[in-house]
Amino acid sequence: MNVEKVLEKITNNPRFMRNITFQHTLPGQPGIYEPIPDFLAPELTELLQRKGINRLYSHQAQSLEAVQQGRNIVVVTPTASGKTLCYNLPVIQTLLENEEARALYLFPTKALAQDQVAELMAWSDELGGRIKTYTYDGDTPGDARKAIRSAGSIVVTNPDMLHSGILPHHTKWMRLFENLKYVVIDELHIYRGVFGSHVANVLRRLHRICQFYGSNPQFICTSATIANPEDHGKGLIGQPVKVIDQNGAPRGQKEILFYNPPVVNKPLGIRRSSLLEAEAVAHELIASNIPTIVFARSRLDTEVLVTYLRKSFHRIGEPVEKIRAYRGGYLPQQRRQIERDLRDGKVLGVVSTNALELGIDIGTLQAAVLTGYPGTIASTWQQLGRAGRSNEQSLAILVANSSPVNQFIIQNPDYFMDRGAESARINPNNLHILVSHLKCAAFELPFVQRELFGDVDPQEILDFLSEEMILRKVEDRWYWMSETYPAVDISLRSAATENFAIIDTTDGQRKVIGEVDRFSTPMLIHEGAIYLHESRQYHIDHLDWERQKAYARQVDVDYYTDANLAVDLKVLDVFATEDTPHVGRHWGEVMVVAKTHMYKKIKFYTHENIGWGEIALPEQEMHTTAYWFSIPNELVEPLDRDSLQSALIGSSHLLGNIASLELMCEPSDLGVTAQIRSPFTGEPTVYIYEKYPGGVGFSEQLFETHERLIRRALSIIEHCSCPSGCPSCVGPIEEVGLQGKDNSSWFLRRILDLESNQQTPSIFTPAK
Amino acid sequence: MNLTNKLRQFLPQQNRATPSPNPPADLDLVLQGQEVFTPFGACYVVQKNLPLQKKHGFWRIGNGLEVESHNLKVLGQEPPEDFKVEDALFLDTETTGLSGGTGTYAFLIGTGRFISTHFVVKQFLMRDYNEELAVLYLVDQELQKTDTVISFNGKTFDLPLLHTRFTISRLSFQGAQNHHHLDLLHMARKLWRKKLESCSLNSLEANILGINRTNDIPGFEIPGRYFQFLQTRQGELLQDILQHNVIDIVSMAILLYRITLTTKLSPEECDCPWEAEALAQMALSRGDHQQAISYLEAARQLCTETEQEISILHQNALIHKRQAQYDQASALWRRILMLNEDDLVAYEELAKFYEHKAKDLGAADQLTRRALAVAWQTKSPKIPALEHRLSRIERKLG
Repeated sequence: MNVEKVLEKITNNPRFMRNITFQHTLPGQPGIYEPIPDFLAPELTELLQRKGINRLYSHQAQSLEAVQQGRNIVVVTPTASGKTLCYNLPVIQTLLENEEARALYLFPTKALAQDQVAELMAWSDELGGRIKTYTYDGDTPGDARKAIRSAGSIVVTNPDMLHSGILPHHTKWMRLFENLKYVVIDELHIYRGVFGSHVANVLRRLHRICQFYGSNPQFICTSATIANPEDHGKGLIGQPVKVIDQNGAPRGQKEILFYNPPVVNKPLGIRRSSLLEAEAVAHELIASNIPTIVFARSRLDTEVLVTYLRKSFHRIGEPVEKIRAYRGGYLPQQRRQIERDLRDGKVLGVVSTNALELGIDIGTLQAAVLTGYPGTIASTWQQLGRAGRSNEQSLAILVANSSPVNQFIIQNPDYFMDRGAESARINPNNLHILVSHLKCAAFELPFVQRELFGDVDPQEILDFLSEEMILRKVEDRWYWMSETYPAVDISLRSAATENFAIIDTTDGQRKVIGEVDRFSTPMLIHEGAIYLHESRQYHIDHLDWERQKAYARQVDVDYYTDANLAVDLKVLDVFATEDTPHVGRHWGEVMVVAKTHMYKKIKFYTHENIGWGEIALPEQEMHTTAYWFSIPNELVEPLDRDSLQSALIGSSHLLGNIASLELMCEPSDLGVTAQIRSPFTGEPTVYIYEKYPGGVGFSEQLFETHERLIRRALSIIEHCSCPSGCPSCVGPIEEVGLQGKDNSSWFLRRILDLESNQQTPSIFTPAK
Repeated sequence: MNLTNKLRQFLPQQNRATPSPNPPADLDLVLQGQEVFTPFGACYVVQKNLPLQKKHGFWRIGNGLEVESHNLKVLGQEPPEDFKVEDALFLDTETTGLSGGTGTYAFLIGTGRFISTHFVVKQFLMRDYNEELAVLYLVDQELQKTDTVISFNGKTFDLPLLHTRFTISRLSFQGAQNHHHLDLLHMARKLWRKKLESCSLNSLEANILGINRTNDIPGFEIPGRYFQFLQTRQGELLQDILQHNVIDIVSMAILLYRITLTTKLSPEECDCPWEAEALAQMALSRGDHQQAISYLEAARQLCTETEQEISILHQNALIHKRQAQYDQASALWRRILMLNEDDLVAYEELAKFYEHKAKDLGAADQLTRRALAVAWQTKSPKIPALEHRLSRIERKLG
């Protein structure tokens, strides 16, 4: 069955269509073309023609032109619009003219790098082997490394390897740095938040090294749609960029559907699980032989979905191998095999976290099912765009879950369609990140007085590091004075450098089956946890905290586990405060202490709670930045202690979710907690903190947009159809109590000075 | 909160320098060297002239002069045609770390050279980071006066490190161009890998050269000690390091001599089975099978452990087999079976010999069955191949 037929079938099904809140047809669009420019080397033009390319898409031609003029560019066009030509053409052109020239390609993942090298190898063969392309990553064998350093015209790597393997050994890479003409950065939008802030500093270090060897490379970047490609590009590479965002590639018609699972418990406002609904939708598509990708929000969801889908296919007598999971925790060989099977059609349904959102070529997927809103508009468009190539119809379905953000998006499709993508934000001057990279930079080359690092004057920090005896200042230079190799202690991707290994001990074997980062360890692999891997369940028998190992055993049980996180928070410093008679809002530094005390066992399908267990693991501390607001005690006098508690829990539940929408970041980047009488303010207080040490600027933004945040939260409560609180607004009544919605609403209105002490929450009735 | 206070809060506290209560003593009094000026500034040089008759372990330093180049080629090294040890420079660095990378500095570079009646050790010290250029300049001058560098593990450590240092200092490293480089570690491994648990310089000193260091500073303490010196300027902190470096360099000179002593032994002169075995390997690699067999025979007579004897017999049998001397080879395999009746390889080789060369299928059949019995016992991966062989032999037998 083709997409058109399937679409017809499901849109004629009233039971399905009852849950559709939005249907939109993105029309197909013909391509915009330009001739291959004259200045391109004849052999390159001939090569393109041999590949059947007699003209270029407009954005490809514009890229070539701009690079020719010596500019840094950021190409912003959708998935599968021929972006790779935008950098490969100018790079290969230069390499053909000058054999000594070098280019450095940075990809955020190894999988992307491998795809790229395969493509460049094919080009090189056509050009008589003149373009020597190598991947340089953690998997590169030792004896190959030497050849790559001296002979590689194009070195393909990732920012992590540049950070820990290449820059600290720059003398071995002299040939590369002396002759570096281009730095290609693919998927620029991925480098945002903490990761982006790190990478911006790695690029500052790259500039220093290039300057030392006398080169000044041009940057060619590509990005998914973001609101601020120019600012973001400039912030990341530290130089002005020209944005090329007119897409000249043709595209097929795409049908977008928003699906809201039906309410199954009206009094509690509980909707049917988005996992179950997504499974049903995906089943329908895959069973009709439509190659389908299902995106899940977390690793856990991925595994649960694969289990459900395989069982449902098993029931109808189909081979379960058609369904595969794909996620970051898998070992590289496993991932490669899945990618191959997808391309060869041995796999028809793939369930993934956002790993496949990036531009890995996985052939002709025709439908995408999104289990839950991916958190950002940019991400949503990328996931929706994963299905469908240039000239065929495709289908994308967003299945909402009960969270406030999801319900907001699904009930306000205009917000999604009109708003456009969000901005990518970085804060390269986050003190933690900056100090880490100043250390690495000082290791690479001594700092000279008055030398700038990006736009930062690092003198005070360098002096501090000298005081700490990590650097030594002699005359006008700071030198590295430590036996350690600083880059190994700094991970670009998370606060914690060390991962915990999960070891399968079933039948007396000992095999590493996966890894979990330190911060997630108490949540995912505490003793007693059920860890899901490749749809198999593993019981964590023992967690060795010291040695960072979890010993697991394969089991077959009908439940999964979910751990609770308790957070305590202490204010260390206030950067800004604004007091009004009704609210005090603040922005500053805090110490967050997180501890998991217990976990719940939740039964499959019914999702009922069937037991619990204790978790005895050390608490984890984090020094970060937060935004918080407090309300004077006398203003909440009408609320008794329980009602106030309920108002705080409800408001923080909602605000935490809404803040990520406001900031356009991942909800997981933020934590939220409330204190009924904060030791710092002495008043009821709600804190929203950043989950990265030092923060990357989100709390400052929340401080500034405080009122809009409260108003949006209030509007969600008022528009939610539940009577007294549900997961889509203030949280389930088990957590906020029967008056949760009224209490929270009254509390938020009080802050906005819309309520007085004469009115108590019980009088309040939700607006229609 | 100002930036520095914030930094103090953010970052875990390190050990701060405890300023020394004593005013820094004059470095010259403690280290007995002198400041030297170069076009790139000053640094500190300590020179020690060691008389040739001075004992260092079993030998005198002067023995180090008795080295002939052809004995080095045997070990796969490439000394210059007219190699004379007087023209060579021994080199050893002390560094601010072992992890490598561009942030590791060679703060002390020691060199050794035979000059008429003395072995002269010159040590170039940077008293602080700003003296690196001067140190490198002087070392380059030394290197320009020689055609051969002799190091211990310098191929992987010292010379790449110096290369990095010169590159970062933007000095041309003329001295390192067109040098022959003899790495004593590589040579020592060829001779004593099987005899010694470790071929570190310390282990070689203790087991081969008869040198026992007392109060020697362990290598891992050196960077920390140097950083302490930078903070406190107490020259005493460096005394142990300089002494350690001198011993390293003198030991290298003796070790070179000791290595050539061994390489020129004839099979009859050997007195150590491991060395004889190693010499056999070297004879083999230059294609001298007869000599290799003689060394192995000497090794077999010297050895006291059955395990080693069996290993020697196997090597010997293999040489005969490759030379198509099947009778000699099979005699050796039989001898192995007398020492160890479960030797799978010997059974297998004999079975091949009887099947293909002697054409005695009955014996081949019997030997293959014996081999299989051993293979099953030890769960050897050779089982399928042996089963295959057995069925083929039985087919031939009819």
